[in-house]
Amino acid sequence: MSEYTVVGQTVARVDAVEKVTGAAQYGADIHPPGMLYGKIVRSKHAHANIRSIDTSEAEKLPGVRAIITQDDVPSGRRVFATDKVLYLGEPLAAVAATDPDIAEEAAERIKIDYEVLPVVQDVMEAIKPSAPRLHGDDTKDGPNRREISGQIRTLSRDKENDHSDEISKLEAGLEAYPDEVYYNISAESHTEAGDVEKGFAESDVVVEDTYVIPRVHQTYMEPHVSVASADSSGKITVWASTQGPFAIRSGIAGTLGIPLTQINVIGTTMGGGFGGRFGVIITHVPAVLLSQKTGRPVRVQMTREEEFTDGRPAPGCVIKLKTGATNDGRILAREALAFWDSGSVSGASIGSTIRVRGVYKIPNLKVDAYGVHTNKSGTAAYRAPGAPQAIFAGESQLDEIAERIGMDPVKFRLMNMREEGDEVPAGGSEPKVGYKETLEAVADAAGWWDREADENQGWGVAVGDWTNGCGPGGVYVSVHEDGSARIFHGSMDITGTDTAISQIIAEILTVPYESVTIRRGDTDSAPYSTGSGGSVVTFTMGNTAKLAAEDAHRRILELASERLNTNVDDLELKDGAVHIISAEQPKSISLGELAAYSLSTTGGPIVGKGSFARQASTPALAAQIAKVEVDPGTGRTRVLKLVASQDVGFAINPMAVEGQIEGGTVQGYAWAMMEEMQYGDEGNINPGFVDYRVPTSADLPTVESVIVEVPAPNGPYGAKGVGEPPITPTLATMANAVKDAIGIRITELPIKPEKVVDALKSNGR
Amino acid sequence: MKSFEFYEPTTLAEASRLFAEEHAQLLAGGTDIIIGMKALTETPQSVVSLQKIPGLDGITTDGDSINIGAMTTVREVELSGDVQQHHTALAEGASEIGSIQIRNLATIGGNIAHASPAADTVAGLLVADAQVDIASADGERSVPIDELFTGPGQTVLTPGEIITRFRLPSPASGSHYIKHKIREVMDLAFIGVAAAINMDNGTITDARIGLAAVAPTPIRATEAEDLLKGNAPTPELLEQAGEAAAAGCSPISDLRCSAEHRREMVDVLTRRTLQYALERASA
Ligand SMILES: Cc1cc2nc3c(=O)[nH]c(=O)nc-3n(C[C@H](O)[C@H](O)[C@H](O)COP(=O)(O)OP(=O)(O)OC[C@H]3O[C@@H](n4cnc5c(N)ncnc54)[C@H](O)[C@@H]3O)c2cc1C
Repeated sequence: MSEYTVVGQTVARVDAVEKVTGAAQYGADIHPPGMLYGKIVRSKHAHANIRSIDTSEAEKLPGVRAIITQDDVPSGRRVFATDKVLYLGEPLAAVAATDPDIAEEAAERIKIDYEVLPVVQDVMEAIKPSAPRLHGDDTKDGPNRREISGQIRTLSRDKENDHSDEISKLEAGLEAYPDEVYYNISAESHTEAGDVEKGFAESDVVVEDTYVIPRVHQTYMEPHVSVASADSSGKITVWASTQGPFAIRSGIAGTLGIPLTQINVIGTTMGGGFGGRFGVIITHVPAVLLSQKTGRPVRVQMTREEEFTDGRPAPGCVIKLKTGATNDGRILAREALAFWDSGSVSGASIGSTIRVRGVYKIPNLKVDAYGVHTNKSGTAAYRAPGAPQAIFAGESQLDEIAERIGMDPVKFRLMNMREEGDEVPAGGSEPKVGYKETLEAVADAAGWWDREADENQGWGVAVGDWTNGCGPGGVYVSVHEDGSARIFHGSMDITGTDTAISQIIAEILTVPYESVTIRRGDTDSAPYSTGSGGSVVTFTMGNTAKLAAEDAHRRILELASERLNTNVDDLELKDGAVHIISAEQPKSISLGELAAYSLSTTGGPIVGKGSFARQASTPALAAQIAKVEVDPGTGRTRVLKLVASQDVGFAINPMAVEGQIEGGTVQGYAWAMMEEMQYGDEGNINPGFVDYRVPTSADLPTVESVIVEVPAPNGPYGAKGVGEPPITPTLATMANAVKDAIGIRITELPIKPEKVVDALKSNGR
Repeated sequence: MKSFEFYEPTTLAEASRLFAEEHAQLLAGGTDIIIGMKALTETPQSVVSLQKIPGLDGITTDGDSINIGAMTTVREVELSGDVQQHHTALAEGASEIGSIQIRNLATIGGNIAHASPAADTVAGLLVADAQVDIASADGERSVPIDELFTGPGQTVLTPGEIITRFRLPSPASGSHYIKHKIREVMDLAFIGVAAAINMDNGTITDARIGLAAVAPTPIRATEAEDLLKGNAPTPELLEQAGEAAAAGCSPISDLRCSAEHRREMVDVLTRRTLQYALERASA
């Protein structure tokens, strides 16, 4: 029996009824009186100089109320492109009109004179000297040149001795790496631990491969939308479909130079986000500018096509990876060189390349990562940003090593996994973690140890690690005269977080879950809250809610002690009432009575406050096993079984946790097997769900989820963030299963039928 | 979507007259045209619905012949016992379209008139040797299905001409359709292959192979058919037929896959679909 009554139980989500009845208000449901329709005017080329923008024909159209370009951005911060566009769909202007068709027509009538420039879409092409440059001619050195240049710098700093000979020798050495002058670099990141050269030299087996992972879209159901209303006093209200209303508030304030207190952001029910719903410029800023100019509320809403051309998807990348191990199964060294496709701006999660280290004891590690500019939109977070890509490379290669040394892939992983106290390569030491438990759990549940496979069938395993983020939050809880409790906070509900918060409050106040209600405020009313991303919400807001409930609990006992004339230490809150602990005089008073009594006391009503910002998080593992069958004739792969375990610390709502495991695993499956944003010289060529395929329920069996609970010391009830980990291993799980089925390693995703057929052919099958 | 005039005529003659006007389009189930109008690839000034005209839908038999009204939904085609039994490839093709919701709206007439080389009912109609009945204000005519298409999105239909029904003259003893795709459902065909076989005493008396999305129009693999006719089916023969079908098509490379992959799949899937059709024909 659990020691808890509400947390750890599966309960219906607090938002279930409003969602199934259609009562929930999404961004596009907001329609203030007099609202205008905004439309963004977008570049029709992937790379071009802009000679001129002529809005005169559009202005003549009846119903057009405003047309804005970068000239209308008083702060000068870049909202629209001016002299150059860097990707198809880049915003150049925006229109507000009385009707969406008029707005669209006006957008078409704006004449843009382009001087079309050569385009580069492939990262490996973009780094070459021959590539068109997006942002000028800066170059960066590759790993070898970097090392030599570093030595030259050190020597030249030594003014005491003459190193000119050595320096000129080193300078000559630079010429050995002509390919390592990289162009179009947006960012770089370098990490080193131990000595990889030594590690490879000591290895019996060294495997090297290049992994290519495509850019994918978060494909949330609700496209970006915002409604902005600037009133005559200058006060701005924005209804925003966003994961982080407070971030949007500061983003608008910063971009437009408006005081924070002049902006109120109301978060509308979110139709999915997965990390892609934090952008400020995409719709919110244009809506505000249009509303300021027209004095009317304006809605800016993206179409699905706009989502694909001007959303902020997850970056694709190319990872060159090398791993060395001994014949008895010890991994000795790993080296990665990664090029992340960050699109027209910097911001790809290149730092995540470090995740190639996985959860293994690797004494020697070297990771060099570069962000590369291409003619695509910028990127943003997508469920464990960067981890699925890096882990795909790392876990694919681990299987290759296991095969070479003839070890079972699960045993090989177990043997190398870190435990509490082990050194994390380039990252301190491991706290108490549940890596081995989680992998063993999935192996047992999937029947790995006595697995069978017919012809063309195969099994694959992979693990992925992730650590939830943490951020500031505030929660109030009030207890009412009927014994019910009301929570007030400002964080967006994703994936059932409001439900988890409610469960925690109910647990501490010892009231039924049903008598707790939760209300989200806007940024004008609610205490600050971190954005709902990075698996932070249950960890952060759960802790905050606990503090608020404990604060209320204190006040409750204080009131009861007054009322029952007893020392606080002799009181206990249980089943919604305060009881005197001593058995001689059984006396109790209900929460409702106490709440009613509180209204006429000096101390006042029961209001608990929780405020929280930071505590160390604990890493979580997701481990998955797939069984697949490949049709060698057509190259189609069918998933026969998909089992996913995850260390969630503590499952506050087990059904919600299973939902996260299933959802993340399916998204990982999709990335492995079918999702891919495709680009040509003209830009994105599959901007819709016909040719950007997301799986349907017919494509894979029910994911079997296995919950593992190794508590996080600082998580509420031991909970870890659960949203992101499940997507991290699936790309590799699928590739490893396909490899097992056909005997060929596919290193380039997605594993489309054509790729499988071609791989089989080139292997003479 | 641009605004437009909407007409719901109750007779074919009226519909034909309205449809013959400039910038007019027909609306059957709407699953292609509405999407085109939303994407502004179709900007009709008038839309003429066929939904109020009686007699355009339903499946009837006339001796051996099965007649399918143009306004029959592909869901009805999929579930029709007669079609399933005598033109299995067509029923299977219909069952491959989109989802049940889409199939409840989409009509077979729209699937064919839209003239997508990848349409899922087209290979089945090709191997059924379907006759396409066409009506206009000027009268009626009939064209064989393999003469209907002139290019992607192009047919021999002239302004005002409306498809009224498909006549499937003679049943095949075994037929089968395979769609090459990535997703199980809700995917468009990378290619589609149908085969229909008649057998007599262990010999193939008639063989028809229909290919979709491997040429500008749906085509018959006539060389492969000729190889099969008059012979007993052997693995070698099927292999030759697959190769002949692949040699006879002219696929393109696009964002879905390469021309080479399409050609290879014609080979693989022709053999497969023939195998299934033969099994049915022999059963
Ligand atoms: C989500 C989705 C998935 C889909 N999946 C598939 C799929 O897997 N396979 C597939 O083949 N298709 C698919 N389609 C396309 C579509 O459903 C079919 O082509 C459908 O059969 C079209 O029929 P309709 O009645 O809806 O045609 P409409 O959209 O009403 O009309 C289409 C065109 O045909 C013309 N037309 C219609 N009827 C006649 C007639 N009787 N005479 C002359 N011209 C006529 C119209 O003028 C119009 O140009 C899909 C569509 C959607 C929206």
